[in-house]
Parts: sequence; C-alpha cells; structure tokens
Amino acid sequence: MTDAIAQSFIDTFERERDALPGAGGWLAARREAAIRELADAGLPHRRLEDWKYTDLRDVLEKAAFAPAPAHQGAVLLPEGDAGSGAALFHAIDRHKIVFVNGRLNHALSDMDGLPEGVALRPLAEALEQDWAKAAIERRFDTNPQAQSISGLNLALMADGVALHVAEGVALDKPLHLIFLAADDGASHARNLVRLEKNAQATVFETHASAGAAHYFADQVTEVSLGIGATLNHIKLQDEAAKAVHLSTMRAALSEKAKLDSFTLILGAGVSRGQTFVEFEGGEAEAHVNGAYALRGEQHADQFCVVDHAVPESNSHTHFKGVLDDRSQGIFQGKVIVRPDAQKTDGRQMTNALLLSRDASVNAKPELEIYADDVQCAHGSTIGELDKDALFYLRSRGIDEMTARQLLISAFLDEALDYAPHEEARAELKALVAGWFEAGSLSAEDIV
Amino acid sequence: MAAVKETVETVGEVEKYKYGFSTEIESEKAPIGLTEDTVRYISAKKDEPEWMLEWRLEAFRRWKNMKEPTWAKVFYPTMDYQNAYYYAAPKQTVAPESLDEVDPKLLETYEKLGIPLEEQKMLAGVAVDAVFDSVSVVTTFKEKLKEAGVIFCPISEAIRDYPELVKKYLGSVVPVTDNFFATLNSAVFSDGSFVYIPKGVRCPMELSTYFRINEKQTGQFERTLIVAEEGSYVSYLEGCTAPQRDENQLHAAVVELVAMDDAEIKYSTVQNWYPGDEEGKGGIYNFVTKRGDCRGRNSKISWTQVETGSAITWKYPSCILRGDNSRGEFYSIAISNTKQQVDSGTKMIHLGKNTSSRIVSKGISAGGSSNTYRGLVSVHKKAENVRNFTQCDSLLIGDKCSAHTVPYIEAKNPTAILEHEATTSKISDEQLFYCMQRGVPEEEAVALIVNGFCRDVLQQLPMEFAVEAQKLVGISLEGSVG
Amino acid sequence: MLEIKNLHVEVGGNEILKGIDLEVGAGEVHAIMGPNGSGKSTLSYVLSGREGYEVTQGSIAYKGQDVLEMSVDERAAAGIFLAFQYPIEIPGVTTMTFLKTALNAQRKARGEEELDAVKFLKLVREKAKPLNVTDEMLKRPLNVGFSGGEKKRAEILQMAILEPWFAILDETDSGLDIDALKTVSEGVNALRSPERSMLVITHYQRLLDYIVPDKVHVLSKGRIVKTGGKELALELEKSGYAEYGADEAA
Repeated sequence: MTDAIAQSFIDTFERERDALPGAGGWLAARREAAIRELADAGLPHRRLEDWKYTDLRDVLEKAAFAPAPAHQGAVLLPEGDAGSGAALFHAIDRHKIVFVNGRLNHALSDMDGLPEGVALRPLAEALEQDWAKAAIERRFDTNPQAQSISGLNLALMADGVALHVAEGVALDKPLHLIFLAADDGASHARNLVRLEKNAQATVFETHASAGAAHYFADQVTEVSLGIGATLNHIKLQDEAAKAVHLSTMRAALSEKAKLDSFTLILGAGVSRGQTFVEFEGGEAEAHVNGAYALRGEQHADQFCVVDHAVPESNSHTHFKGVLDDRSQGIFQGKVIVRPDAQKTDGRQMTNALLLSRDASVNAKPELEIYADDVQCAHGSTIGELDKDALFYLRSRGIDEMTARQLLISAFLDEALDYAPHEEARAELKALVAGWFEAGSLSAEDIV
Repeated sequence: MAAVKETVETVGEVEKYKYGFSTEIESEKAPIGLTEDTVRYISAKKDEPEWMLEWRLEAFRRWKNMKEPTWAKVFYPTMDYQNAYYYAAPKQTVAPESLDEVDPKLLETYEKLGIPLEEQKMLAGVAVDAVFDSVSVVTTFKEKLKEAGVIFCPISEAIRDYPELVKKYLGSVVPVTDNFFATLNSAVFSDGSFVYIPKGVRCPMELSTYFRINEKQTGQFERTLIVAEEGSYVSYLEGCTAPQRDENQLHAAVVELVAMDDAEIKYSTVQNWYPGDEEGKGGIYNFVTKRGDCRGRNSKISWTQVETGSAITWKYPSCILRGDNSRGEFYSIAISNTKQQVDSGTKMIHLGKNTSSRIVSKGISAGGSSNTYRGLVSVHKKAENVRNFTQCDSLLIGDKCSAHTVPYIEAKNPTAILEHEATTSKISDEQLFYCMQRGVPEEEAVALIVNGFCRDVLQQLPMEFAVEAQKLVGISLEGSVG
Repeated sequence: MLEIKNLHVEVGGNEILKGIDLEVGAGEVHAIMGPNGSGKSTLSYVLSGREGYEVTQGSIAYKGQDVLEMSVDERAAAGIFLAFQYPIEIPGVTTMTFLKTALNAQRKARGEEELDAVKFLKLVREKAKPLNVTDEMLKRPLNVGFSGGEKKRAEILQMAILEPWFAILDETDSGLDIDALKTVSEGVNALRSPERSMLVITHYQRLLDYIVPDKVHVLSKGRIVKTGGKELALELEKSGYAEYGADEAA
C-alpha cells in the first residue's frame, strides 16, 4: 500500500538514481532496498505509536514538495545581520561548511586548513571509506521506527560531509555546518562523523532559510565515537515558518566515549527531531538536551531514545520549551535499559511553559527497564508562568511584559546552559532574547 | 468438609496460592462457544426484558467486527473465543430467598476464602455480594441497606427491579463499543453488582463484592454499576480469586461509576486471581475496563487497586472529570512475579474547570515478570486551572524481570499545572542486611521493605482490608529472593 | 561469651583482618580502637554476617556456637546486635513497625510468643523515653530524614528493645555533639549487665569517658597490636596511632 506521497518520493528516486552519489557502487543496492521498504511501509502517520503526535504523511502530502533544484547564482551569507539565526556563530573562530538546498557549496565553504589527522570530505568522496560505509550500512533494528524514516534519506541523500578524526587528535576549532534553503523543494542530506579513540571534536549545525519559504529539509547524521572520544554538538534549527524539518541523529558510543548534544529550536512550521543513542561500551556518557520556543502555528516534535545495552553508562536528557500562540510542542523520550546494562544511570526531564490560550503540549517520557541494579528517573512538568513570581516582580516596579520575559528567559536559560561551548552558548542566549522582541507577547496574550 | 472436595494440582503451590482449590458443584452451562444464541441463552437465563436482550445483541454484532487490541506490553497466544463457556451457574432450582436456601457448598467455599456470609460471622459493617462464576449467590445486609435507601443487589436483579435506573446509566460511562473487551462484556455479561446511593445518603457500611471463578474453561464477565446521587458517599471493595488450573481463563469485566454533584465514590480492588504456575502455565487473563464519570460539580472518584494475581492484567481504571471542581484519584500497587504480565494504569481526562487528579503507582516486578505502568493525563481546552500530580515508582527484584513506564501527558490549556515523576530502584543490599541484622528473615525483610515502598497506596485502603493487602504483598513475592 | 581465634578475613580478594584473637567474657565491655582502615568496621560486619566478607582462616564462637555457620538473622535472634555507624533508611516503614517486626521475628525464631500490640506499645514507650525518642519520631519511616543524633538514638532504642547478649557499637559516637553523646552513652550504660557483653568500636577516646571499658584493644593493619586497661585509651589520645604504624591517623 503505497501512499501518494511515498509514490512521489519513489518517482524522484527513479528519475535521479543515476545521478545520486554512489550510483553504480555498493550504495545503489542499499538505496534500492530502502526505497522498496518505504514503498511498503509508506510515510509514518498518526496511527504509529512513535508518530502519534506528528502525522508526517499528512504534512508532506499537503505540502507536496517537489525536489529542490540546484541553486543558480550566488548566495550571500547574512553574517552582518546579528538577529538572524543564519548568522549565528560567525564571530567564533571555526571551520565553515555551507550547504545550499542540501548541496555542498564549495565557494562558500572552507574544506582546507584542517589539522593533520582530520579528514573532511564530501559524502560522495567518502563512500569507499570503510568507516563511512559501516556508518551508512548500520541498521537500528532495535528501534525499527528509526530505521523506516531514515530509509527515505538513504534512498535520496544527495550530498553531505564525512568528518573523520584520527586517534588522539582534537579538531582545533569547531566545525560549523550551515544548511541554507535558497529555493523551495525537498532536499536530503547525510553527514557522517567518526571520532577514533580519544579523538575530540566540536560540531555546530545551523539550519536556516536563505530566501526559500516552502521547503522540506531532511537530514540524517550518523555519529560513531571510539573509545574515550568526545563529541560536542550544538544545533540551531531556525528554518522558515512554512518549512518542514526532519532530522535524525544516530549515535553509537564506545567505552568511555562522551556525546554532549544541544539543540535549540526556533524555526520551521513542522519539525521532528529524532535522536537515537546506543551505548556499545561501558562508562560512556550521553547528554541530549535542548530548548524550544514556538509561536504562530509551529509544531515541533522531539523524539529521543537512549538505549543502554551495556553496563555502567550514563545518560541525561532535558528539554525545556515555551509555547505561544497556537503552537504545539511534543517531547517523546525513552530510556531503555537492557538486561545486561546493570549500574546504568538514566535521567530524563522535560518542562514546558504554555504562554497562550491556544498553545498545547504533549509529553511522553518512557522508561523501559530490564535490569534491576539501575538508577533511572524521569520527570515532566507542564504549566504556565508562576503567578506569584510575576506578582513579586511587578510589586518591585517591573512592568508585566518585562517581568514575563524575565521569567521566560530564566526558564529557558536553564536549558541553554547545557550548550557545550561557552561562546556559542552566549550567542544562543542572545538569539533567544531576540525571539522575545520579535515575538507576539502582546497584552491580549496575557492570560 | 465432605461436601467440598479440593483439587490441589501442584503440591508445592498450595502455600503460595491458597485460593487455588475448586468446588465440586453441579453447574449449568451455556453451550460452548459464542453466537447470537449464546447471548439469547444468557438473557433468557436472567429472565431479562426485551430491551436488555436487544442491547446485548447490538453489542455482539459490533464485537464480531472488532479486533483485539495489541498496544499493551502483554504477550499471549491467540484466544479461541469459540472454545469457552460464557455462562456457568451452580444448579439451583429456585432462587434463594435467604441464606438457608443457599447451597451449603457455596457458603463453605466463601468461608474458606475468608468471606463468611452467615450474618453472625460477617465482618461488621461490610455488606457482601458473592458472585460465583456467572451468578450472584447471595447479597448480605440487603434489608439494612434498604432502610437507608441504598440499593445493593446483583445487576441481574436490578435489570428486572430497577429498569429505569439501569437503562439510564448502563453504558453511559463505558459505551457499548468502547473497546473489544468491553463490547464482549456488553454482549455476554452475566452478573455483578448494582449500587445506587440516593441523594444525600452516606452509605452506612462498606459494600463489597467477592468474585469467584470456579468452573473450567469458563470466562467471567461481570458488570458493575455504581451510581452516587448528589451529596452521597459510598466505599466499595471487590475481591477476586480463582482455582488453580492449567488453562487460561478470560475475565473481562466492565465497571462503571457515576458521581453526581458533591458525591464521592471510593472503589477499592484486591485482585488475586490465580496467576499461573512458575512456568507461566495457567492463570487468569484479566482484561478489564473500569471508568468513573465525575458527572457533577465537586464530585470525587477514587480508585485504589492492589493487583497481585492474574497471568495477564490489562486494566486502566480511569476518571472523566466532567464536573467543575471534581477530583480523580488512582492509587495502585501492582505486583508481578514468576511469568506474570501487568499492563495497568489510569486515564485522567480533565474536562471541567478546577479539576484535579492524583496518581500514585507502585509497581513491583520480581521473578521473570513484566510490569508496565501506562497512563494518560489529558487537559482539554476549556478545563481551567487543572492540577495533576503523578508519581510512578518501580521496584525491581532480581535481574530477570522488567519494569516500564509509559505516561502520556497532554495539555491544551495554559492554566494547567501537571507534574509527573517516575523512578526505578531495587531493594538495596544494605537495607536487606540491616533488617536481617535485626533478626528479620530475608523473605520477611523483603515483604517489609516492599510494604514500606507501597505505604502511600496501602493507606488508601479501608482499614479492614489494608492488613490483608499487606499480607498479600508478602505472599505474592515469596520465592522472589535468595 | 565471644571467642575469636586467628580470624583472617578477605574483602574483594584483599586480606583486611590478618589473624585476630579476642575473647570477651560475659558482662565485659571491650573497646576496639584504631586508625582508619585498620579493619574495625570489617570486624563488626564479619561478626554480624554481612555478605562479601570472606573468612579464610580462624573461627568465631559465640556462647559456644560456631557463628560462621549462622545466617545474619539467626545471629540476630541469638542475641548479636550491631549498632550501625551509618544506619540505613527504610522508606515507608515506620520506626514502630520496624521495631515490632524485628522483635517478633526474633521471638518467633527463639520459640517465644509474639508480643501483642498493647504490650509492645507499652514496652516501646518505656524504652523510648530515656532516649528522648518521641512518639512523632516513632511514626516516621525508619531513619528517613533523621538527623545524625536521631539515627544513633534510634539504634540504641532498637538495642534496648531487642535486648541482645552481645552488642557491637560501631563508631556510635561519630557525628554526635556532646549532649547527644551523653544521652546515647547513658542509654548504653543502662543496658550493661553481668550477662551482657559489648564491643565498642571507636576512633576516639572521648566515647570511653562515658562508656568505660574493661579492656581496650588497639587494632592496626588487621591485627590487634596492643591490649590494655582503660588507661590505654588515654595514652592513645595523647600519642596518637603513629607508633602503631598508621600513617594517616586523624
């Protein structure tokens, strides 16, 4: 039973297959298999438990995106525009890679100047690397629903980068991947990150529009961390108001590896961010945190599965969000502790503030525990601004609007503090402050 | 006791499940299988009016097109609905008018279960409706309750004697087509209790129904309906046991509660159906739909459950908080051992203003069992100032069991304050050593610590039953350590 | 009462006790002093039967019985009591319930009749009063949210109610201010009798001003290196543990 939207992706695949990276190589068969799976399963929809709150099939069907074209002409980076998400991190010394419409833009990117032991290649050029092949071929059979939607990306991924850091090497400065949409349409990108034993890297991601309004950005990032490797990761999602953003990060951690990931969500009309963490060695640590601020008709769904399959690993997940207007926020989290994963410490927390009468939030923090000697906990709070705190501030002469902003930013700051890079954190905070100014916190919203 | 022959199937099991005996009594059964004729047979046996038969047949027609739900974390072989009996009743020529006319075997059975039905032996202040397979055997204290205006009788009797009340409320909380098992129940329900508390009446005693499955290969489909009119109060308790058998038996009950303005219903369950043996053979499949409707302002419904039995437990006693300022509570202890599977929790649906709810769930998994809390807290758009607090704690005993928490929290009104906390822990070696150093043997120490873990819930039970429930906690966990 | 011969104990493969010989007669109070890491707590755990403490050589006889053959609760029922250095929290189980469960379990194990609620309540009230253990405290879950002093008083209350024959007090003075120390010591002294022996484990001499021992043993690196009268404790207070090979004597 192939739904209409799946069929349109199949058609795209048939048209473009020979021009996609890896055509004629081992990847071609994998793409073929993935598109067949998609044809059988269709796009995920509301009746699937994991997609209960986001009907991706419905969203994509209504939007009916054509494939995004290769952009013609120059793209200007809006670096001077301090309030813009696309300009974020420009003051930080970094390696900059720019994608336009899901395709690597060599003119704007700086692929050189990397320290020894660090290899950064376009996806097409990395396909014959063993590690890259392993990353792409990796199946997440323990989380089948992650498998199914990432198949869409596997079939159609047109570009991306592959970062490899050799044993004991630290990437000298953050690698910043900037994804800009300059034209309407659907794009599919795939990034691969492999840090060998004791390697270290910091990766920033920005997803924003550079002129496009109506587009679908589909992205998968495969992360593989060797023994003792550390990846710091900060992602800003600041897509256009009508954009659909689908991103999946799949991370596998070896012994003593550490993943510290933070996501800030401000943009996109409909977004679904999926994070899957699998522990493959003990004493590893994963932090998957984030903040979101939504308004208008925005719909953002965060889905995070942390799978403890081995003993003695720790995970920490905390998402905080504020919701204004008619926006909808969703947090679905799951901590799995498999039978051998004794001494696991798994924590998960989500807090949401509803700022408007019409906003809504859904949370589903799950625990699935098969081992007894573990410490797992989750919590969820949903509410509005603390009226007593508001009253207190106003009694000190602070006007209501300012008082509300103060309390909301204090609320979000707690999450922003998780961002694993000091300068980046400061920029994220400034950006969130701008969200309030641009926002619709008008008097009639005050409930 | 010559009249009662005990069937003890596994000698080693006697201690663990002391309710495992069966009563040999001649019974009358509907023909095996489920067809429209079965439904007609049951309705005829109950001497039901035409409208009731139509209601059942409608349910049966719907049921034929429904599918068994698969979303719960429970696994079992496909049930053959045509290879079971849907009605079984002890043979009795005339309906007993008083205790003297009840088959003494039945009275002995209940006495053995710790539920004496003869007035002089009864627990003071507790009225009992005893349901044996598909029929109510006897209801005690009926007359005394009548004086207070309280109706407490088998539902089959209520259908005949109070048709207007039954018509008005039956299916009004759990609609006929609510779910596969509830629809099945609507078609074939045999007996259960009906309680009606008139306006302003505080029920003078605890009401209690004791359900016993005795026959082989027989499902039990009881239906309970409790209506509390404005300003009334009732506390109701149900207990359940079944003999040890190798086969699985289905129990698919429906319970509906209606609380009008300022009314309060407190519903407690001690569920101890036969859980199956060490290898997971036999045991009751307990698929139950329980829902309360806080229809009136300031009404309150409180569910307390101690779930220790059944091979599979699938139940979510819920509250629809319709009336402004109404309150729902769910206190649960779910213990699973050996190969038991529990998927249980609650739904708190906040529709009215200033409604509040509280959920305290304590799951204890031992042996090779699986124990899932599944719950929903939902705040609708017009529900202002909703408050919910949820606490879900899981305790794991041993490394072969599992514990899961699946909460759904949905808020569509900004004035809601919803808090949810969940933890998972085990009994620490330090705690065990400390208790044992004080002379408490290991199994008793585990029971002590687990009872401490469950304290917040045990405190919600009526006094008479709290002590029993504490003992049950200990018995259910026997063999889980060491 | 208690006779320990050539006791060697390993924890996780490391030998902690390396040949202890100790005899405590009926009615005697012995103090074990020693620097951190000398094996004091190991001795208390091995006497009470905690898992993970492996006896590789030697024997422990209590009233002529081989203690090592007995389970933890059997030892307790036979009258061996350990007052914990860090009493354990038991959430949801009130102090009262715990006391009753423990006392009746021991009585049952000894073939004695269990105490009914009325008699039990009377007993607890009588024993609790001198220890300043209030009814309110008895209603709280055991040790949960108790202050350091409350925990130690609750330990001594348990001892007073269970009436053991051989009590081990493991650093009962730690974390106590002077007033609490007095209360606890008075509680202990009230239990001294010609039939009851005690082993008082402490780092400091201070406690022994209040609970005066018949004998003092110095434990160092898993061996008893010196035995003397109560004056030995005073000596140690002056000179410290340095001469007994302790590097980190605090």
